[in-house]
Amino acid sequence: MSPAEAQGRWLGVLARAEAEALKEFVEGLLPALEPYGLEVLENRTGLVMLPATDTARGTRFLVGEVLVAEARVRLGGSEGYAACLGRDLEQALAIAILDAALQEGLEAGRIRAYVEQEAARQAEADAELARQVAATRVEMETF
Amino acid sequence: MAYVAARGGEEAIQQAEALYRRLLGPLDAGLVRRLEQALPYLLDRLMGEGSLYAPELAALALAQTGGDLYEAVLLLRAYRTTLPRLGYAEPLEPEALLTVRRISAAFKDIPGGQVLGPTLDYSHRLLHFEPQEAPPARTGAEAQASLHLPFVADWHRQNGLLAPRPPDPTPGPEIPDLTREPLLFPAPRAQRLQALSRADTGGVLALGYANMRGYGAIHPTVNEVRLAYAEVRLRHPVTGAVFSAGRVRYSQAEVLTKFRPGPGGKPALELGFAATLGWNEVKLIAAAMLDAAMDQGEPHPAHTEEFVLSHTEPVEAGGFCIHYKLPHYVTFLSNLLAHQGQPEEVEDA
Repeated sequence: MSPAEAQGRWLGVLARAEAEALKEFVEGLLPALEPYGLEVLENRTGLVMLPATDTARGTRFLVGEVLVAEARVRLGGSEGYAACLGRDLEQALAIAILDAALQEGLEAGRIRAYVEQEAARQAEADAELARQVAATRVEMETF
Repeated sequence: MAYVAARGGEEAIQQAEALYRRLLGPLDAGLVRRLEQALPYLLDRLMGEGSLYAPELAALALAQTGGDLYEAVLLLRAYRTTLPRLGYAEPLEPEALLTVRRISAAFKDIPGGQVLGPTLDYSHRLLHFEPQEAPPARTGAEAQASLHLPFVADWHRQNGLLAPRPPDPTPGPEIPDLTREPLLFPAPRAQRLQALSRADTGGVLALGYANMRGYGAIHPTVNEVRLAYAEVRLRHPVTGAVFSAGRVRYSQAEVLTKFRPGPGGKPALELGFAATLGWNEVKLIAAAMLDAAMDQGEPHPAHTEEFVLSHTEPVEAGGFCIHYKLPHYVTFLSNLLAHQGQPEEVEDA
């Protein structure tokens, strides 16, 4: 996995993590991170436009906008970024802090363990959904 | 149209709003949360027409308007204009959809099988008067469990029944956007599909039904209806890493026309298509039929792009309709005087 892929994975896992637990986790890390200089550069809500693909003729079109919260922080020499669905600014800020810390190699062990635990939980939720969906597959009879 | 300026009435207007809110009852965060949990399909309809995916805000709009859908869509559309557009997500690729329902009426043995997913399509439409618990999950098809279901149209293409689907490399900011450019006719296909994605469910159904019932020149078959989750993939502004900011509910439908002469005179099928934010099957089946119908060059209004897209825009249509409640005293008075044959003496409008 390239560094960009690894970063894409942790940002995705964290964006889907339960927000309150995530904020609590980051709250607990702050005393260890703050000595390296934590600066919030941006923390706002906004829209991202979602392009989709027409499966009839291949045309790309804009299916609508999605509300997101985003955050940019600086921690040491790294710039962390996060965006997550909804308008929870603290959730975005918490993820951006983790993103910067992982890039900077600060508290990386604890954060990676948290990411992996979340990733496993999400993978199991997806697998369970897939199983439940598969249980609705039918063989139609026509006469 | 003639309007008349009016003054006063401020106290009455305040009391009218207060009466409305009293009849509606209290609104708090708990109510909004319960609406969000209990009415996902209604929120989907709202978010699709509002062209804004934000379940919490859709629930708030619903609570604040007492469930008046046109007012709620207007609230969402108005709110979106106050927010900056941070950028464009990576284009949603069909193959990446996490599909939970995919059925075809074209033929039964579609690749991947008919997957009913969450639906009441085959259930009795009966009111249940007892409380209902969510039934426990009963699974057993783990071997075939995947949320990546193939596309029926790809099978048609492999068998030479449909034209290939060429890739469209247009980057997000260059895709025609009817929130930034007016809708002109004939509309670029991208704008047509965007207009259908945010169109009024009832309006699309009415015109689509007109087509189905006999005013249409096509008799389409539902090639596929698909309900899915789509990842909203963004780019890290510093490192360029692509990541998912979360999942949205997304649905799409395709309808097949009859065989028609294709390029080179060889008969081929054509597909009508529609997609929207949220899960809204009835709107998409009707909209995909309208998409196919609008290409047929028929004079009937339900085949005409200008007629279909202009009259299924919920905020414009709903807004124009309710504007008639505003004072039209001069309109009516001029009509009255014309009828009485004395149009010159109008002292007080």
